[in-house]
Amino acid sequence: MPEPDRDLSRKAIAQALADLADTAPLTLVEVATDGVTTFLLQRDGNGSPRGRSWSATWPDLAGERGWDADPAETRKAVLRASRAPSPFGEVILVAASSGDPKAEQALDWLRAAHPAAQVLRAEAPVAALVREVMADDPLTRSYELVVVLIDPGTDRPRLTSRQLFPLGSRPGARTRVSVRCEAVGPNGTAFAVVTWQGPEPRLLSVQSAPLAPGRYEVTAELVRPGRVSFTGLPALSPDPRDWNQLVSALPDRLPGGLGPAHLVCAVEVCGADDQVAERLSRARQVINLASGELGDLLQVSLLAYAAHSYDASAPEFPVRVPAWKAGAGEALDALDALEEQGAVARGYPYHPQAAQVEDMLAVVAERLDWADPTPTVVLTVGGRPPHPARTDPSMILPCPRRHDWRKLLASLRKRQGTVLGAICDQATDQTHQAWHGIGATALAHLEAVDVRGLAAALGLVASSPVHLPFPLLDETE
Amino acid sequence: MQSEPSRGRPDHNISMWGAPGSGKTTLLAALFIALTRRNDDWKIVGSDPASSDYLIERTNALSRGKVFPEASMALERYHWTLIGPAPQKTGLWGRKAKPGPPARIGLGMFDAPGGLFGTGRRPAGGVGAPDGAGDPRRQELLDSLEQSRGIVFLFDPIREFTFGDAFDHMHAPLARLAERMLASGEFTDGKLPHHIAVCVTKFDDPRVLETAEKRRLLTVDLDDPYRLPRVASEDARELFHELCQVSASGNADMVLNALDQYFHPDRIRFFATSSIGFYVDRRTKRFDWDDFQNMVPGEADEDSRIRGQLHPINVVEPMLWLGQRLAAIRPSTEIS
Repeated sequence: MPEPDRDLSRKAIAQALADLADTAPLTLVEVATDGVTTFLLQRDGNGSPRGRSWSATWPDLAGERGWDADPAETRKAVLRASRAPSPFGEVILVAASSGDPKAEQALDWLRAAHPAAQVLRAEAPVAALVREVMADDPLTRSYELVVVLIDPGTDRPRLTSRQLFPLGSRPGARTRVSVRCEAVGPNGTAFAVVTWQGPEPRLLSVQSAPLAPGRYEVTAELVRPGRVSFTGLPALSPDPRDWNQLVSALPDRLPGGLGPAHLVCAVEVCGADDQVAERLSRARQVINLASGELGDLLQVSLLAYAAHSYDASAPEFPVRVPAWKAGAGEALDALDALEEQGAVARGYPYHPQAAQVEDMLAVVAERLDWADPTPTVVLTVGGRPPHPARTDPSMILPCPRRHDWRKLLASLRKRQGTVLGAICDQATDQTHQAWHGIGATALAHLEAVDVRGLAAALGLVASSPVHLPFPLLDETE
Repeated sequence: MQSEPSRGRPDHNISMWGAPGSGKTTLLAALFIALTRRNDDWKIVGSDPASSDYLIERTNALSRGKVFPEASMALERYHWTLIGPAPQKTGLWGRKAKPGPPARIGLGMFDAPGGLFGTGRRPAGGVGAPDGAGDPRRQELLDSLEQSRGIVFLFDPIREFTFGDAFDHMHAPLARLAERMLASGEFTDGKLPHHIAVCVTKFDDPRVLETAEKRRLLTVDLDDPYRLPRVASEDARELFHELCQVSASGNADMVLNALDQYFHPDRIRFFATSSIGFYVDRRTKRFDWDDFQNMVPGEADEDSRIRGQLHPINVVEPMLWLGQRLAAIRPSTEIS
């Protein structure tokens, strides 16, 4: 039976829209005094309702032959105008005219063609009612904001999402979320809203703004299905990037130095006086730089090593540890003392081609707390290669203590959060191959070292600003 | 080599020969030290003041200075005599008789700069045949080789690996020597009448020792308190052959072929030789496979140094083998 009440029609259309499956459309055919208008409603990939309409007047449908000349052809034209829905789609017929014979005839044909269709009676055109129902459609999928979280163990950023609006939310719903923004990139920070269906997110909308670094209290409002607005931010504008471009803009890791660090600085103190002074000076620069960025979060250990003596009458200078896990100030004081002491001559130049690198590595490995997760940088500043553990074709005499530098380096590299850096007297393409292991993460030439670049590569200071494409979720909220 | 016309005239003469840098001078200095360490009364004595001075100077440099003796920059001739123990003769009715004359082996060395016969560094200004046949210094070396019947030929495998010039330094003198012996009627059977001890030097170098170890050529003398590895003389030819495989020029195999062409097989003997020997820790007094390198390379402008005590290996043995073989051919006195 026809329902003349507008609210009842609204409810019926809204219910049909709510029941709409992802694949089958809802067809709403309005038969009015002047012709037929068909509304095709379906949900898009994010679950938002989308609608299209087509109108045809009676002359359009009857053509030059006239309404009554060939009723069969006119009937076919009316049914075509209704856009013959798929067998699985729901059909609602709306009678917006009463008493018009053409309209009544058309309604009869349509009812006969769609016997399961609801028939609604409307006093006014339903287009406005359809738009109203679509705009007020409750969410069929959760809307979520894309944010970045930093893995505390690795400093690696990863994407996740924070729910803005749950299922069933209606326009006007609001949610507050706290985010942080890092350095501004050329495309700004993107506020992307996604829905989830299965394991993959689906981009609903993305808008960007060049946000200054800082914390933001953002209010998201559901304007209508498929549209979310944000307040608490500078004006957002459409972002031209697609989902893949946004995701690929996420860096692998954030610059280090964001947390505590242990810098183990080992300096070769044998050789020419000016060479030793230069090495100590480079160590000082690195300690100063790291201390300036990390402050009290930096612990520094300082080791000094020299050459082995293979002459029983010339006792060698053993590996010394003037500072261990000390503050930067104490380590710099110890460095002062080493500078005053100058180059160690003992054991030199009896074996001029190698130094106690392997003994130094053994001391470091022994002293480090292997359960301590604090990121550790072992920075070696020297020139000579280590001694082999046993006689080999290198013609470098074996370490008197049989320390194996290869095994020690491998062990240190396996230690959690440990990186190896080196500043070598020789250029990297001319240095002994052992230095490429001693400075596995970063190897620099003593005379041309970019101290900031080296420290950044070792995670002691922030490198060039990293742009995150999405806001960081402020977990302190 | 000129025989001494005096009462101390040696019974046989040996010439040392090898490419420049092959270790002739060091071998000679090590020979004095090795003989001093032996308890069989063999000794080496200079045949003239210059030769005595040379021996003393080079030996001191090696034993006390811990440095390798400097090679001479000019051709010098030196003569020494290896004097063995006097053999005891039993007198009539078992009475003690007067000792017989000790064995004497003349040893001559031409300590010459490189290029005397080699093609790489031929002295400038020489006139004559391309192989230097007209050079008076080469004539002297050939004279020495012609007049001796024992040759100590030094083959440096490390030099061969780097320069690959052993064949260059061997071929021309051999050809000239054969020419002379043919002229004097001593090449009748197509072979030189000489005995030759081929010393594969620098056995202490880790690369040489490793080669010997890989070929399972190493042995240890049970009487050696230091347990130093050695290569038995019968296996040294295989070591030589193996080391020839890594020659820089690829010509080292021709050295072996030339030896076989010019010398009777039973007159060639190979020795794996080291003038300085392996490093032995004074406390353990035992060879240590983890730490045996006795030579410490110097920096760019410094000479290599010797790390520990000298333990010459197969330095005396080539001389005594030659002495024994020469005595057997023309016995004048007993070689023990």
